[in-house]
Amino acid sequence: MEKEIILKISNLSKHYNYYKSVLDIKRDAIKAVDNVTFSVIKNEIFAVVGETGCGKSTLSKLIAGLIGKTSGNIYYYGELLDYGDKKKNFRKKIQMVFQDPYSSLNPKKKIYKIISYPAVKNDIIKKRDRLDFSVSLLKNVGLGEEIIYSYPHELSGGQRQRVSIARSLSVNPELLILDEPVSALDMSISAQILNLLMDLKGKGKISYIFITHDLKLVRHIADRVCVMYNGKIMEISPSPDFFNTPAHPYSNVLYNSILSYDFKKGLNFINLNENNKKSTEVNKEKEKAGGCTYFKRCYASKEICKENEPPLEDIGHDRMTSCFFPFTHPNL
Amino acid sequence: MIYTVAKTMNLEIKDLTLRLHLKKPAGGYINVVDSIDLNVKGGEIAAVVGESGSGKSLLGLSILRLNPPGVSEIVSGSVKIKCLGEKDELDIIKLYPKDLPSVRGRLISMVFQDPNTSLNPVIKIGEQITEAIFAHEKRDKSEAKEIAISYLNRMNVDGRARFNSYPHELSGGMRQRVMIAMAMVLNPCFLIADEPTTALDVTTSLQVLNLIEKIRFESGLGVIFVTHDLSIAKNISDKVYVFYAGQVMECGKTEEVIDNPLHPYTVSLIKSIPSLSKDYMPGQKLFAIPGYLARDDFTPGKCRFYSRCFKKDKDCLQSIPLNDITRERSLRCIKV
Repeated sequence: MEKEIILKISNLSKHYNYYKSVLDIKRDAIKAVDNVTFSVIKNEIFAVVGETGCGKSTLSKLIAGLIGKTSGNIYYYGELLDYGDKKKNFRKKIQMVFQDPYSSLNPKKKIYKIISYPAVKNDIIKKRDRLDFSVSLLKNVGLGEEIIYSYPHELSGGQRQRVSIARSLSVNPELLILDEPVSALDMSISAQILNLLMDLKGKGKISYIFITHDLKLVRHIADRVCVMYNGKIMEISPSPDFFNTPAHPYSNVLYNSILSYDFKKGLNFINLNENNKKSTEVNKEKEKAGGCTYFKRCYASKEICKENEPPLEDIGHDRMTSCFFPFTHPNL
Repeated sequence: MIYTVAKTMNLEIKDLTLRLHLKKPAGGYINVVDSIDLNVKGGEIAAVVGESGSGKSLLGLSILRLNPPGVSEIVSGSVKIKCLGEKDELDIIKLYPKDLPSVRGRLISMVFQDPNTSLNPVIKIGEQITEAIFAHEKRDKSEAKEIAISYLNRMNVDGRARFNSYPHELSGGMRQRVMIAMAMVLNPCFLIADEPTTALDVTTSLQVLNLIEKIRFESGLGVIFVTHDLSIAKNISDKVYVFYAGQVMECGKTEEVIDNPLHPYTVSLIKSIPSLSKDYMPGQKLFAIPGYLARDDFTPGKCRFYSRCFKKDKDCLQSIPLNDITRERSLRCIKV
């Protein structure tokens, strides 16, 4: 079967400028997203993982058109998208669900208004139809019609997150960007949301970009995994391969730091000092020209990594990694 | 060596009940912590696992009698603590308020959830740590500084370099380690860790967990580890207390409870988390617990998990006692 590419991103960058002091003429830039290239296939779940500050939220905002890019291109079915684009037809096909359901719903509006507003604005329904429309959408996400006259504060966290999802589904999007949709919720509630997302995906044409830091969820839900560090892509792999053999050293570190309830990992406090030497903060400082961004923390680094930046290369089996020494042996 | 001595230390909570008075229109009260029995020995880590709103943080606060005054009161129960170097057992609940500061920080100390808000942003971290020393002990300034630096070093923070840093200059994981250093600086016998890793990244949270494990072995510390994550509880704790709506639903040794859960709540909780084992198929439907933790669940006279349980029955509409199954395991369910 031919895989249809829904979203193509090429060499996308977003730099935030800042001045070291008031009189500083030379400005420095934080490279929040730096030269990122990937594409999302139709009806797949594309997971983006990484630590705080690695640029995954900036990436999602760039795709949703909430902020302007510095350079690079975003293509949606071959059409170029840009910040402030007036092409509503394309814009409404990409929707976003935010992390915190407590702050992303307007507290002064009733649920049916919240849900139907995007559809009315985009001329999908008439204003008089919005009650029926909201009820049918709420049914899609597993909520009853009794809450359509409620305000957001009357709902629980899980219900609110469902309302956010219903709102983003109201304009029939083909790409849904989920920015940590379950990290603010309890585990019993997050299972409800994950099941809902899987159901919606099974129904048809929707694709997800699933941004998270929880690798357990990624293994459960994702088709492909993209690991980001310091604004750059470290690895893109199909999910089963990724969890068999994380190719990039950073992926390996992430993989080894997952805790799970079904095995006990000996917490090894002996290695702690060693970890401390390689500072664990995502380094925002300007790196030396050239060289791998992960060089400082990497345990497999060699002399070549200091001088040259590894390009994002194909290593077979649909996998890409930006490392000179990718792992190929299975992880135990 | 320390480890064997530490076993004589004991923190025993018996029948602790914290009552929360509700605001005017609704009125009345609910027992957010309802006759809790909990026991930690020195060198042991006990995890308290539960959903948000189940009262696990208030349990941690009420052990130190830091529960919000005015709206809540401790109705009954005792928190008996026996430490090294103390002659008698001490009941924290019976202490006069003026005696409490000598217990807090010296015998039991606490690490809070969010390191970003629990450090004072305008005071250097070194000063904040030495402040704790001066409050309890008579020491020179230089002496206190040396102690603070040595504790920071033990927490894998470069003490000499970071002594004069402000909290905003540190990363999240480092701030949490400073918080632990501050809690440990008076060498307490027990530590209450209230979700210390929730605000942190996976890699940094693993470091903090390693650190707690390390000081537990080094100084025979007894830890009450409050968390909502069963995976963390499994990896760090010796015994686990599963909390729901202010009551212990099930408790016992961690391995037994998590590998072989009995209470319907524990069973469904474990089923609702994606597993990492090799024979687990990704993409299958997760078991979701219907509904959510509501205020009605706190009403007495029925099982508190009644509205969400898959095994519920007419018999569950009575108050269910916590029964001992084996010597180390108890369960609050009549359907098993």
